[in-house]
Amino acid sequence: MNPSTFDAISAVLVEQFKVEAGAVRPQVALDQLGLDSLALMEFVFAVEDRFDVRIPEDRLDPRQAGVTLEQLAALLDEAIAAKPTRDVVSG
Amino acid sequence: MSSAARTPASARVAVTGAGVVSPIGNDLAAFDEALFAGRSAVRAHALDLPGIDLPAVPVAAAEFDVAAVVAPSRVPLDRGTAMALTAADDAARQAKLVAGGFDPERLGIFWGSGMAGAATFEMTCRTVYAERRRMRPTSVVTTMPNAAVAEIALRFGARGAALAYACACASSAVAIGEAMRAIRAGWIDVAIAGGSESLLTPGVLASWQAMRVLTPLAAGADREASAQRACRPFAADRAGFALGEAAAAFVLESADHADARGATRRFDLAGYSTNCDGVHITQPDAAGQARAMRAALADAGLSADAIGYLNAHGTATTAGDAAEAESIASVFGSNGVPVSSTKAIHGHLLGAGGAVELLAAARALASARLPPTANVERVDPAFAMDLVTGAARSNAGLAAVMSNSFAFGGTNAVLIATRAPQ
Repeated sequence: MNPSTFDAISAVLVEQFKVEAGAVRPQVALDQLGLDSLALMEFVFAVEDRFDVRIPEDRLDPRQAGVTLEQLAALLDEAIAAKPTRDVVSG
Repeated sequence: MSSAARTPASARVAVTGAGVVSPIGNDLAAFDEALFAGRSAVRAHALDLPGIDLPAVPVAAAEFDVAAVVAPSRVPLDRGTAMALTAADDAARQAKLVAGGFDPERLGIFWGSGMAGAATFEMTCRTVYAERRRMRPTSVVTTMPNAAVAEIALRFGARGAALAYACACASSAVAIGEAMRAIRAGWIDVAIAGGSESLLTPGVLASWQAMRVLTPLAAGADREASAQRACRPFAADRAGFALGEAAAAFVLESADHADARGATRRFDLAGYSTNCDGVHITQPDAAGQARAMRAALADAGLSADAIGYLNAHGTATTAGDAAEAESIASVFGSNGVPVSSTKAIHGHLLGAGGAVELLAAARALASARLPPTANVERVDPAFAMDLVTGAARSNAGLAAVMSNSFAFGGTNAVLIATRAPQ
């Protein structure tokens, strides 16, 4: 898990969904965040948009019990790695 | 019609709390200060859109941080809904309405908004059309007209009726009046009632500008000064209004319920009426307005001369003010009642207007002062009306006030507030 990915997830949960910062830990499951299924869907959209990626639906159903933030971060990392690389021109 | 008790005093509904988020203040002290000083919160707002000649329009925005509001549903909030929640929280706090102090099945939520989540929908659609991105899963629940009702009901665990009223600029006056009726009828004991509107987004502003009802602003260095005095209700040189954003909420209770829990009665709602002109989609009709004012007086069991202050709808459009000046004169006689329109300072608050202007009238009642109509140098000589201009006017004997709300679509709503018994 890329720590910066987890940090970004954490920021979205705290800032947009008002989850207590202390409750946001890698091993915490999505269904333990105090968010209902609609808010969880909105949360996953928000983090996907933050990285401009999509996690395929067959890889993640946020309503499924037990999916942890760590697993979500790993799925995001996979999606980020799979993004077509853009030519980077320095300067 | 006499002031004899056509309506029993028990039918007066107690108001035990009020909360507000508005361009002229987010608490009652700040609201009063601007209200009685006649200090305008209208500013020039740049608008750079295709097909619009005006570089700026007059707007009255509230100082409000939507990100600071936690939604009971935990979903992102429409700005107007966040204002609604804040106003409702403040009203409940003033009323000391806390869990355990009421029967949830006897608490109703009655809320008005003209276009509710239109601003959120506009910005959300922009992600689809302009940015080619997907819609969010919460687009529906943040946009729906009953979004504010739903969030307030969740906040307070309301199990009684939770109803949204959409009748343009009369929406929140109707919501408050219908809550009053529900309490009088014994359907509920307590209501949180009011309205909200926050539509200061490019598409909505452009829609109003296209109707030619927003006051054109001066160019160059005079623009800001012309924005502050853009709205001049009942003035000879009136030229339209400014759009504003706000929410106001009240806790309404049966007098018995308020007394039983030891709540302070801030003022009473004594009369309400709503009707429809049934004449035109936008043109006001003095006859319909007069019928509504007379019906509200009858509902309160008051004669016209009992009303010591009238907060007019007063939009500062040519046709709107002319019709209202005529209807007021037909009910109260020439110069028959002191009138002001506070839209001059807080802008046209659309669906929230009735609630904020009832609050303005109630503050007049509480402080025995009549707020002035700002920006008016010369009252239209065609109007035989006692317009309060310049400074606030004292009236130590003020005992009953009226607030008018007249909407596109022809809906009229009139509320009458009276001093609570000491």
